[in-house]
Parts: sequence; C-alpha cells; structure tokens
Amino acid sequence: MAYFIQLVIEGLATGSIYGALALAIVLVNRATGLINFAQGGMAVLSTFVAYALFNAGAPLPLAILGAVVFAFVLGAAIERVIVRPFERGDPDTAVVVTIGLFVLVGGIAAFFFGYEPRQFPSFFGLETLNLGGVFVSLRSLGTIVVLAVVVVLLQLLFRGTKLGLAMRAVADNPQSASLSGLPVSRLLMIGWGLASVLGVVAGVLVAPQLFVSPGMLDFVLVYALAAAILGGLDSPLGAVVAAWFIGVIENLAGAYIEFIGNDLKIAVPFLVMIVILIVRPQGLFGRKVVVRV
Amino acid sequence: MNTLSKLSANLWVRVAFGVVVAAVLMVAPLISSKFVNYQLGLIAVFAVAILGLNIVMGYAGQVSLGQSAFLGLGAYIAAYFVTADLPIPDELRLPVSLLLCAIIPAAVGLVVALAAARLRGLALAMVTIALPIIGIPLAKRFREFTGGSQGTTVSWLRAPDWTEGILENDQWRYYVVVVIAVLMFVLARNLVRGRMGRAFRIVKENEAVAVAMGISPYRYKVLAFTIASMFGGVAGFMYLGVVQYTSPETLSFHTSINMVAAMVIGGSASILGTVLGAIYFVLVPNLANEINPSLTALFSGAILLAVLFLAPGGVVSLPRRISQVARAVARRRGTATPQNPSDPAPASVTTRPESTEKNKGKRQGQ
Repeated sequence: MAYFIQLVIEGLATGSIYGALALAIVLVNRATGLINFAQGGMAVLSTFVAYALFNAGAPLPLAILGAVVFAFVLGAAIERVIVRPFERGDPDTAVVVTIGLFVLVGGIAAFFFGYEPRQFPSFFGLETLNLGGVFVSLRSLGTIVVLAVVVVLLQLLFRGTKLGLAMRAVADNPQSASLSGLPVSRLLMIGWGLASVLGVVAGVLVAPQLFVSPGMLDFVLVYALAAAILGGLDSPLGAVVAAWFIGVIENLAGAYIEFIGNDLKIAVPFLVMIVILIVRPQGLFGRKVVVRV
Repeated sequence: MNTLSKLSANLWVRVAFGVVVAAVLMVAPLISSKFVNYQLGLIAVFAVAILGLNIVMGYAGQVSLGQSAFLGLGAYIAAYFVTADLPIPDELRLPVSLLLCAIIPAAVGLVVALAAARLRGLALAMVTIALPIIGIPLAKRFREFTGGSQGTTVSWLRAPDWTEGILENDQWRYYVVVVIAVLMFVLARNLVRGRMGRAFRIVKENEAVAVAMGISPYRYKVLAFTIASMFGGVAGFMYLGVVQYTSPETLSFHTSINMVAAMVIGGSASILGTVLGAIYFVLVPNLANEINPSLTALFSGAILLAVLFLAPGGVVSLPRRISQVARAVARRRGTATPQNPSDPAPASVTTRPESTEKNKGKRQGQ
C-alpha cells in the first residue's frame, strides 16, 4: 500500500510538470486559437537563462525570477513578431509555423549552450520525507504544491482581476472586445507572455531531474499536448486533471503491469488518449465545437 | 515569366525536359563518388516519404506528424525479410519484401486512420505524433526483430553478378532506389490529378461542402492516411537499401517534424515541391553542418519561418510569387503599363491549372 501511495505521489509530481506546460498550451489556445508546438522549446530557452544566471553567481530564486521575466518578454515578442500574421488564418499553416518556431528556438538554445546536458540545482533540495512508511521526496511534494499554487493564481487572475476579464473577453470574441475598446493586440501579447512563464515553471521544476539540454522538454511537451487535448484544449482545469491522470496512470501501469515495464510505459497515456478521443472527440472537459458553414 | 510559362506548356519542351532529367538521373551515379551516390539515394528515399506526407497533409489537409513511424516500420520489415530464413526463391525475395513493405505499413496506417480520422486538426496531429513515440520503445522491446537500441545492420542489395565490372554496389543501389522512386512519383501524380485528388482538395477546403457533394470526408481522410503510410513503408525499404542500417532513431519524431518542415519548404500540394523538399531535407543539414554543427537546427527553423512568411506555397511557388511581388511593386510606383484584366502575365498564371484541368477532362472523356 505504501508503495502504491508512493507511486501515485510520484505520478502526481510528474503530472504536475506536464500540467504546467499543458496550462501554457491551453492559455495560448484560448487566446489565439493556436497550438504552440514551440511551447516546450521556449521554456527550455528560458530555463537556460536561469542556468546562465545561476552560473554567473546569482542566487537560485533570483536566477529563476530572471528567467521568468525573460520568458514573458520572449513569449510576448514571439506573438507580436512571428505568430501575429498567421493568427485567424489557416490553422494548418499556423501549426507549421509553431513547428518552425520549435525548431528555431531549439536551435538558438543549441547554438548558445550546446547539446550536452547540464546540471541544474533543485529548488527543493534532495531530502526524502518518511510519512508513516511512505517515502516521498521533497521535490515531488514541492512540484505538486507549485502547480496547485499556479492553478489558484491563474483562477484569481482570470476570475478576479480586470486584466483577466479583458483576456477572457479577447479569447471569447476578439472583434467585439476590440470594439469595446480593449487593447486586443497587447492582451494577446500578455497571454503569450503568461503562457511562456508557465512553461518556464515547468522547465525549472523538471530541470534538476532531466538536466538542461535543448531537447529536455520534447517528451514533456508531447505529454503536455496529450493532457491539453485530453482535457479539452479550452479548459485549464481539464488540462491539469488530465495531466495528473496521465502522470499517475503511466507510473502505475509501468510498475504493476509486467509486460509494460519501464520502457513501454510511455505508450500507456497515448493509448488511453486515443481511446478517449475516439469516444469523446472534444476531450474530457471540452465543449463540443459546432462548425457552421 | 510569360515566355517561361508558355514554354513549359509546350508538349515538346516538356518531353525534352523529361528526357534531360532522365539522362541526368541515369548518368549521375556513373560519374559521382560513393558519397554523392549515397546522398542522391537518400534524396530519393525521403522524396518518397515526403511525397506520402504531402498526399495526406498537402493535398488532403490532414496534419500528420507520424510519417517517420512508417518509414521506420518499412525499414524494419525490409531488414527482417531480406535476411530471414524463408521458403522463397532468392530472386523473389526482393519484390516480396518490397510488397510487404508497402502492404504492412498501409494496413497499420489504415487501422490508425480508421480511429484518427474522426478527429480534427490538432487532435489528429497529436494522435499521429504518438505513433513514433510509441514506436520507439516498441522497437527497442522486440529485439529479435529489430536488434533493440543498437539497430540492425544488413548487407544486401549488392550489384548482381551480370553487372560485374560495370556497376559498383552503391551505383546499383542508386538505380534500384531511383526506379522505385520514379514509379511512386508516377503513381502519386496520377492519384492526385484524378478523381481522388479532386476529392482530397474538397475535403481540405471544406468538409461540409464535400458532404454536400456526396464525398465522404471520413473515407477520403482514411484513404489519404493509408496511401501516406504505404509511401512511408516503401521509403523505409529504400532507406534500408541505401543506408543498410536502421535503428529506433529512424522513427524519431524529429524526423517527422523535419519532414513536415521540408515538405512545406519545398511546396505543399506540389509534386515538384516534394522533390525540392527532399533535396532540402538531405542537403541543407549537410551544408549547415559544414559551417557549424550547432547551427543546423537554427538554420532549419529560420528557413522554414522565412518560407512561411515570404512564399507560403513553398520554394516551388517562388517564381510565381516573385512575379506577383514585382507586379505589385510596379503598380504601386505607377510606372507599369496600365493593368487591364487580360494582362498576359497573371492570365497565364491563372489559366495554367485550368488548362491542365481541361486536358484531364479530355483524357477522361476519351
């Protein structure tokens, strides 16, 4: 039983990392109707900034803060300069644009930092707690708590502030938002900036474990996309629940089903995703989109 | 531009062009080094793989990020069947394994598509990106077929005895691969220019319209996927022929993403664009590596974005795009001759597809 709980908590922790990136994807999708394949790459680049600042002698919290600022500016700039012309256009072209961004941002990270993985300090230290026979690393607990805090903050932002209300209005209907005097362009940039910040949260959380390298978040990105789609793409809560679900189910299947083992466990969430999508194409929490001619 | 399009519409010019291309393809391996032949063979391999991708993505408008899975599957099937102990005569071994490399991936693609084609756009992209991601651990797991993480090396497709003293192994491989590629291109060209191609275009344009016209979007999406998977599998066979080695790396989703990039750069929904895309896919990373290996990814991303900004139709649309821009600039300056509706340059651009459309009607009417 203790082992089971341990597996669930570890699963929730990895799920939280997927969740942070999935939230970023949902945020971008709600604001601009795009799926950003470059979300992971942008997060890696920002994590590299944290790495560089830390190695330059900055204390870890300051380095992370620097990365957060960088991520916000990066996200906003990419939206304004590269993505803007393709918004509201052909969605397939937009997907290819973000794929191009994915390659480009990864290339920038590789150019400056090379491909060797680099060590990154953990914010939470390396201790393991013994809670009544269940061994849980402080890192896992910290990761889960961070994601929970992020979700609460996002809810506060979107439900309780004028900025959040304006962003929701733009996501809902950019034309009428613009007609009622909202600075749509700037709000879209803020949306992308916020998403990019969520990405760097995922990056910093996962970096001590995976080490920082340009491809660090490739797999996390794929899980996050799966979570975002499973959750329904327009539902932040759905994305987080789906991400946790994916993390837990992957861990349990890998541990308990002998055939699957550690190497094939990556297939489990995708098979589950495919089955769920076939039954419910709009995802678990998504609204059904009706296309009018 | 005007004279150029007139020229290319002339049948004899086309025939002459075809003869020149065929001659270059025939002679190239005889005068090139082994390395060049290897690169040319790789271009043929990825031209076929990207052609499949172009059919499902460029023509039918369904995002697919799983093409590398079929490439890898085809390569593994070839590796298994050309070496396995099978009760078939040696001369049949090659065609049989080629056939299996087409059929098995097509069957897998069909099964996946039956489920995936219910989804739209991004969900579809996700399901297809899952293929290489599931494929890699599977390939590592079934060691007895795939050789695990190390992959399998096979030594096959040697120049047959009757070519001794004439052809080296690499030249023979080049010819085999190019012949298969040419056949696949003829097949694809006929597919996309016929009824099926028109159905694909309507499904891409607007599914509701397709339904109204009695075209089932679901059926044609499944069809496009199946064809793309078959092309991927055949490309896998060719890949093993050229490289003589395959490993889980062949399946990696980066290969898929780079193929999508190459397809868009070359020109989506264009046969010639596919060839340009394959040349880009093979050569540009090489060139970038020469300059600075850590710049390769940076270059590819920048080139892809530049193409999307400047010529969304890909490199193949560049001549048309340049003349468009030039005309727009001339018009703005007011120095150009008055633009009447029957201005020859744009007219020739727009009538070209129509004239092929007409030819098609003629051919079908006969």
